[in-house]
Amino acid sequence: MKQAKVLIGAVLAIAVVAGLYLVNRYWIAPATMVQTTRAAGNRPMAPDFSLIDMNGRKLELADYKGKVVLLDFWATWCGPCRIEIPGFIRLQERYRDQGLVILGIYIDDNAESVRAFYNDFKMNYAVAPGDSRIVELFGGIVGLPTTFLIGRDGRIYSKHSGATDVSVFEEEIKELLGAPPSAEAAEFKQAGGVQAGEQIELGDPAEIDSEVPGVNLSKLNPAQVAQFKKVLEAQPCNCGCKLNLLKCRINDRSCGVSRRLAREQLGKLLKPTV
Amino acid sequence: MQKSEIRKTQQVGLALVAVFALGGRALAQTTGPVVEVKTAIGADGVRAGSNIKVAALANIAPGFHINDHKPTLDYLIPTAWKIEPSGQVSVEKVVYPKGQLKKFAFSDTQLSVYEGALTVGALLKVDRKARPGTYALRGQFNYQACNDHACLPPKTVPVNLVVKVVGRGAAVKRTNADVFNNLQLD
Repeated sequence: MKQAKVLIGAVLAIAVVAGLYLVNRYWIAPATMVQTTRAAGNRPMAPDFSLIDMNGRKLELADYKGKVVLLDFWATWCGPCRIEIPGFIRLQERYRDQGLVILGIYIDDNAESVRAFYNDFKMNYAVAPGDSRIVELFGGIVGLPTTFLIGRDGRIYSKHSGATDVSVFEEEIKELLGAPPSAEAAEFKQAGGVQAGEQIELGDPAEIDSEVPGVNLSKLNPAQVAQFKKVLEAQPCNCGCKLNLLKCRINDRSCGVSRRLAREQLGKLLKPTV
Repeated sequence: MQKSEIRKTQQVGLALVAVFALGGRALAQTTGPVVEVKTAIGADGVRAGSNIKVAALANIAPGFHINDHKPTLDYLIPTAWKIEPSGQVSVEKVVYPKGQLKKFAFSDTQLSVYEGALTVGALLKVDRKARPGTYALRGQFNYQACNDHACLPPKTVPVNLVVKVVGRGAAVKRTNADVFNNLQLD
């Protein structure tokens, strides 16, 4: 009898879990989110990029090795981005001498609006126009603002999607500034939720420019590429998008589910037959 | 099963609930389209020299909003439906509803926005010399969506129309009364 009650309880718990997950996935617009990786070795290296900032200067991430970098993807038409900027200005002022560098990369915006905003807000850090390539290099930016914190060792320590309180950044920055370049930084407090097992995934150029975004097709001949795309078209993506794998890859480059499944299919195709 | 085991099972269950409830990606729900737009036409045909009502029906995903056609703040990207007139069909006017005033975490002031279902109406005029037949008009629906904490890039989706011009004596039947009864287009 007791066992039956426990079983019913377990089934109910699973139903509640599934219900909450679905409600959260499709209905609730959750608050901010921060992703962290668990061990220093697992933290991905920030991909290098080269941009020209709005003052005509070359902006290369590699030039800031040994510094803590806050990399903010933003736009002037984005209200949640705008409210973060005064906080970033204060942080840059407060921690510049200790090794903090803030870089702003604007997306889908025009230089004129950004220049006016830059002057109005008296921004004190470099701002450069971004493009789809840098967005993809950083794993696909679904929405703005998206902010990465990069440690002195050039590794990405956290990714914040959505407007985040400046105190959260400050706490993380202080921790990173205090850590020597090679030391493992302590865990950050979570401002939101971390999807179990999810890590920031970065792309390489062969994956970015691919017909199937996020999947390196360089080892396939044209016929195999066509065959591979057909396989992806025939398989539904189970990320919740209701699309096939190919469409999901193309429409949502940041979807980790379709990227993993597409890569699995590629692996099968490349597996030598005995 | 011992009481302690039951308690442990309950704790694991609660932990799972917490992980799944809090663990979603902030923008994960954006994998599907945030705004879906379809069209409605006010009659099954229109005679040359007459007007016809059309509408773009946008469905905005829960939790998201798009900006009013006349946004509260000048930096916001307005919602707009642009219809390209053809030689035979011109656009007399496009009518947008007033947005709802809402306060968001990222703004000190209330913003006028559209949420849920949005109907944008337009009045088209068919040239009096137009010959019977179907005429395709190309249109673009521009919007930029945000939730309380983040924004998606501005988007333009094609929202095209097909207008059927009938002969002078042909009967014309009104359609989609539920959409057009509430639109002030005349």
